[in-house]
Amino acid sequence: MRSTLSPAVAERGPLAAAAEAFRLGAAQTLSGWPVLIGRCLFYVLLMVVLSGLWDKVAAERVAGLAQHARVETFVLYVGATEWITLSIPALHLKFEDDIRGGALDVHLLRPKPYLLQAVAQCCGWAFVRMLALGATALAMLNLSGRAWPSLQALAFIGVLGVFGALVGVLLYALAGLGAFWARRVLPFQLIVQKLMFILGGLFAPITLYPPILRRIGAASPFAAHLYWAGVQAIRPSLRLFLTGLAWQALWVVLLSLACAGLWAAGVRKVLRAGAA
Amino acid sequence: MSSAVSVQQLTKRYSFSRAAKGFGGALAPEKVTIEAVCDISFEISAGERVAIIGPNGAGKSTTLKMLCGILEPSAGGARVLGLVPWRERKALAYRIGVVFGQRSQLWGELPPRESFALLRRVYDQDAAVFVRRLGELSERFGLAELMDQPVHRLSLGQRMRCEITASLLHGPALLFLDEPTIGLDVTAKAAIRDFIREHARDHGETVLLTSHDTRDIELVCDRVIVVDEGRIVVDQPTDQLRRTFLARKLIILRSQAPRLAIDMPGVVARPSEPHTTVLEVDTRTARIDQVIAEALALGGIDDITIEDPPMEEVVREIYAVARRR
Repeated sequence: MRSTLSPAVAERGPLAAAAEAFRLGAAQTLSGWPVLIGRCLFYVLLMVVLSGLWDKVAAERVAGLAQHARVETFVLYVGATEWITLSIPALHLKFEDDIRGGALDVHLLRPKPYLLQAVAQCCGWAFVRMLALGATALAMLNLSGRAWPSLQALAFIGVLGVFGALVGVLLYALAGLGAFWARRVLPFQLIVQKLMFILGGLFAPITLYPPILRRIGAASPFAAHLYWAGVQAIRPSLRLFLTGLAWQALWVVLLSLACAGLWAAGVRKVLRAGAA
Repeated sequence: MSSAVSVQQLTKRYSFSRAAKGFGGALAPEKVTIEAVCDISFEISAGERVAIIGPNGAGKSTTLKMLCGILEPSAGGARVLGLVPWRERKALAYRIGVVFGQRSQLWGELPPRESFALLRRVYDQDAAVFVRRLGELSERFGLAELMDQPVHRLSLGQRMRCEITASLLHGPALLFLDEPTIGLDVTAKAAIRDFIREHARDHGETVLLTSHDTRDIELVCDRVIVVDEGRIVVDQPTDQLRRTFLARKLIILRSQAPRLAIDMPGVVARPSEPHTTVLEVDTRTARIDQVIAEALALGGIDDITIEDPPMEEVVREIYAVARRR
């Protein structure tokens, strides 16, 4: 009997596979719902501590912060930045496992680009986490009795948060692609993470920094990751929203190109040397 | 018959730096080059089932990787289904299926059904064709009850059935199998071997298999390529391989007497259980019919079995001969 399985393929672009990878990433996170609940509880714990800290700062009007009229809104800022930070999966470790553990061979044997699928899968993970952590944030806000941001501010935070998460995923992807040249990617990830804390303004808005650091921070991918979404909790405005969106778009493009370049160089190395 | 795989003087060298002895050596490491595959050439016809075997480090996996397109050779050429694998990797990917026994292509936390759905998109399969193929493979492989269980809860044998299904869903013309039965129990191994052999026969697929388990080779493949130290040592049909390298047969006699004493040139008794006599016959010296006649003359024979020596012995003999050359 001749093959009933003869290939009859109408080749399509990579987006349908990426969309399926996104869906599977989301399904993976949902299937690990106890872990997701644990993450939400950790977010609650973190916010209890950080809101206590910022409430104390607001109450005592710490020198240098007095000029900021609404220090009490910094709690919301930190809530937004932590929402994004806790939503980002450890894509760098997936890359390290796949590249160093040999699973890359399986992915290179497929006709669709693995990098795009891995990022899409990671975005699926992040998306479900953002929904769960976002719902936790709103529940915490309701229970805390604090003033709610306007609906417009919430919408701006939501949109900038999603794109900020994408920037974060790409930053972790860059760190993870270092696995083509280094056995462990943790050092790269730690550098990225510290820069997220400092230049991204994880715990305090970069507007508190000295002018030169503020300018550097605002233009960096780390601010695109965290600050621009967070600042909408303090000073919601359409102008800042559009500015943030523009920076995020720029960094998504630049980081995507950087990831694609590193990926291509890494795959060339593997195809020649047989392993990373 | 058309050629599915054509390999000409394929060579792969790996280079790396190694610190030489002494203080100076640490500052100026020496460059070391290893030839993993050296000048190998062979052809595989469409529909043929071929095993590449050899000891660890012989160059089997390196050869397989080059033929799949995920490793560039240092010299030589190859065509797989008319394509140069390392230059047309994407086009080739649609036409080959690959199973790595020790690497999973399924998503551990999710049921196989989800991984199959992703593979449909990855290979641009039409939904109706995909459903029909999955139905066929699921029925043949008894996957129905596994489809909705997370992969990490499946046994190794169940997972391997799903891995092979995943590699066949896009209807490849050529199947690469790297140690497909490694770690499986006897029943699972038998199921996998039967399936590969029957599926390839029914669908006309070409199979290229590497394995350390000689039963995989005997039961699945028509031809064996033996590699050692990067070179092809033997390239023969499986049956001929046995005849060439071990001109021996095993005659197993079950008798009422605890032991049968047969003293003939070219016949050696192997250690065995009481009431069973295992005779190793060198067919260049002694004829099988004469040995059996001699045994029957002793009387009290309940059963006679004639077997080829295990493939394991054949392979051991081949390596020994190759090393003496």
